[in-house]
Amino acid sequence: MARVPLAVLRARLFAQRRIVFYSCAAALVAGLAEPPGYAAPLFLCCLLGIAMALAQSPGLQPHLDSCEQSAPLFGRELARAKALVPCVAAALAALVYAVAQLMQGAPGVPLAVLVVLAAVIAATLTALSATIRHGATRGLYVSLAAAASVAAYVLVARAHSLAGELALCAVVAFFALRQYGEALARYDPI
Amino acid sequence: MRDATFAAGTVSAGPITLDLDPGERTALHCASEKEAAIAALLASAIVKASSGCVLIGDYDPRVQSVHCKRIAALVPHEPFPLDEGEFARYIAYRAALWNVSPQRAHAHAALLRKRLSGMHEAFAYPLIGALIGMPELIVLDRPQPAYAAQILDAIAGRAVFSTHSDAAAARAFAGGAAEILWTKRA
Repeated sequence: MARVPLAVLRARLFAQRRIVFYSCAAALVAGLAEPPGYAAPLFLCCLLGIAMALAQSPGLQPHLDSCEQSAPLFGRELARAKALVPCVAAALAALVYAVAQLMQGAPGVPLAVLVVLAAVIAATLTALSATIRHGATRGLYVSLAAAASVAAYVLVARAHSLAGELALCAVVAFFALRQYGEALARYDPI
Repeated sequence: MRDATFAAGTVSAGPITLDLDPGERTALHCASEKEAAIAALLASAIVKASSGCVLIGDYDPRVQSVHCKRIAALVPHEPFPLDEGEFARYIAYRAALWNVSPQRAHAHAALLRKRLSGMHEAFAYPLIGALIGMPELIVLDRPQPAYAAQILDAIAGRAVFSTHSDAAAARAFAGGAAEILWTKRA
């Protein structure tokens, strides 16, 4: 059951290993340089997640796109597999940031990891829908992803509601993945 | 295909009408490269016809595209940017997507690689990848005429539908056993 997502994850992470490495390097530098808190890791990792999601756009890895489009998979299966790639890459960057913060002796790192991962997954899954759209609609989905990360930050840092942030991110992530699967099932590569 | 057309913005193809029975071969000569590419995507259930009807086996790609993709395998026109070192990884990836046992896929791929030994890997790998899932229909999008004999030998026994934008290439894939169909620019 997990064979397809793992195969897509391995193939796409290998093809995009440089961008994943640079994302983790950026997270490490930021983690060593920035003071502890939610703003820097949350917005940096959400930005990296959105960039990784956009890197899954058709045409950037044509041989992988061709295989995945011709494979006997339902839209939702392919959506889950493709969604795993930017989520894992962005989560890696968040973990590298957390390691850098631990090396600095910053307090509250485990909680920050939880907060950041929730926001990163919600923003990344929302941005995935932009990959199969063009023009204003593409911009709209990227804006929605940015708005999701801002809303997560406001809930956790300003309203001090960790449960609210996790609930918001879970709802956004669920509907974003569902929307991506439906869009992928109807997607015409021409 | 019955009067199958595709239209999206300024891009269009067809109408295409053809029948292909198991084991048969048909070469479609199209007016342009774009039209040939779209015809191949229609035949492999990757894009849906805007009008007319496409049936692959007994399945309609509009509602049963997964079943259609189990029957038809596309060999794209573009060469794959993979080298010998990435071949095993590519076969494992294709085997997972088509739910084929990895051992069987690697053994099958090694056999096919031997049969296609004179062929450049950028063109051989997509063909080997397409054959891993044991499709009944192979759709060749503008295949290289220089490799016609090797390609047809590797896929012997299966139904073959090839699209071309060049008459000489269509003749190379039609040989004597197949029919060449022509589409006209509207």
